[in-house]
Amino acid sequence: MGKKLKIVIAVIVGAAIIGGVAAWLMWNKPHQDVKDATAIQTTAIDLYNSFLKDSAAAKTTYTNEVVEVSGEVTQVNHNQQNQSVVLLKTTTPDAAINCTMEDTAAIIKPGETIHIKGICNGYNSGDADMGIPGDVLLIRCYKTN
Amino acid sequence: MKKTIVLMVVILAATHSFAQKFYTKNGLISFYSKSSMEDITADNNEVLSVINTTTGDLQFSVLNTGFHFKKALMEEHFNENYMESDKYPKAIFKGKITNLSAVNFAKDGSYTVTVTGPLTMHGVTNTVTADGTVTIKNGSISATSKFKIKLADYEISIPSVVKNNIAEIVDVTVSCNYPNKM
Repeated sequence: MGKKLKIVIAVIVGAAIIGGVAAWLMWNKPHQDVKDATAIQTTAIDLYNSFLKDSAAAKTTYTNEVVEVSGEVTQVNHNQQNQSVVLLKTTTPDAAINCTMEDTAAIIKPGETIHIKGICNGYNSGDADMGIPGDVLLIRCYKTN
Repeated sequence: MKKTIVLMVVILAATHSFAQKFYTKNGLISFYSKSSMEDITADNNEVLSVINTTTGDLQFSVLNTGFHFKKALMEEHFNENYMESDKYPKAIFKGKITNLSAVNFAKDGSYTVTVTGPLTMHGVTNTVTADGTVTIKNGSISATSKFKIKLADYEISIPSVVKNNIAEIVDVTVSCNYPNKM
């Protein structure tokens, strides 16, 4: 086998290994670490009102970003998969910052003021015909205070 | 005069008790894609759903970016390549229970229902008909349903390179409790 051929084979094998490792790393890329991520700071009332006032601007600023929200807890429920769902008070009746918790250790009670960090999923407008206001959704949330 | 007032109060009370709508903002929609290469599941726990026990109207609204996958890359591909969530952020179903008389909302039990209506997803609307179960327990309403969706019907195209990884028809499961009354 000639020296040139050996080099070509080595380059091809090397490229294949590097490509394979890169693909494997990409495929197994972990989800964003919400708990330790840098977050946009805001309050529940400001976050909700920003979606009501200018939803396009709020979407650009907050959607798919890690946001840390402070606010008063109005309800703590559980969803179908037994995750805690914390509702933070807004100035619109029956509307909330709807926080689905990834944090299983946090003990949260209605009435307390807390800070919650999570990924903002946007505003799911309610049903105007039925008079149901929408919520701003935060997912994969952690209590930070 | 007194009789008139009593009659009006009775009519108002009756109207209120019959015109009942229940809703949740944290219902669950899951989907499951089974293929020769891999099985893919995703859950969304932030489903807005409203059921009107008088008319049988049943609605669902969900933000596509809320579907959570086991792998981050799957989530990215789902939103960027397949659902185009920036362009089509929501999936909406506005249907009706076609056999509403089969459900006694005042009596505990499980009732088999058929729901039909338009499902809009990825900018395409198709009529979907699905069987489901409405369960009444101690006055609380819950509903479940399983049905199939053909991705091509919603113009969701799968690149040939991952054709073997994603099923052409995916199973959709809906499960909602309705704790809020209007």
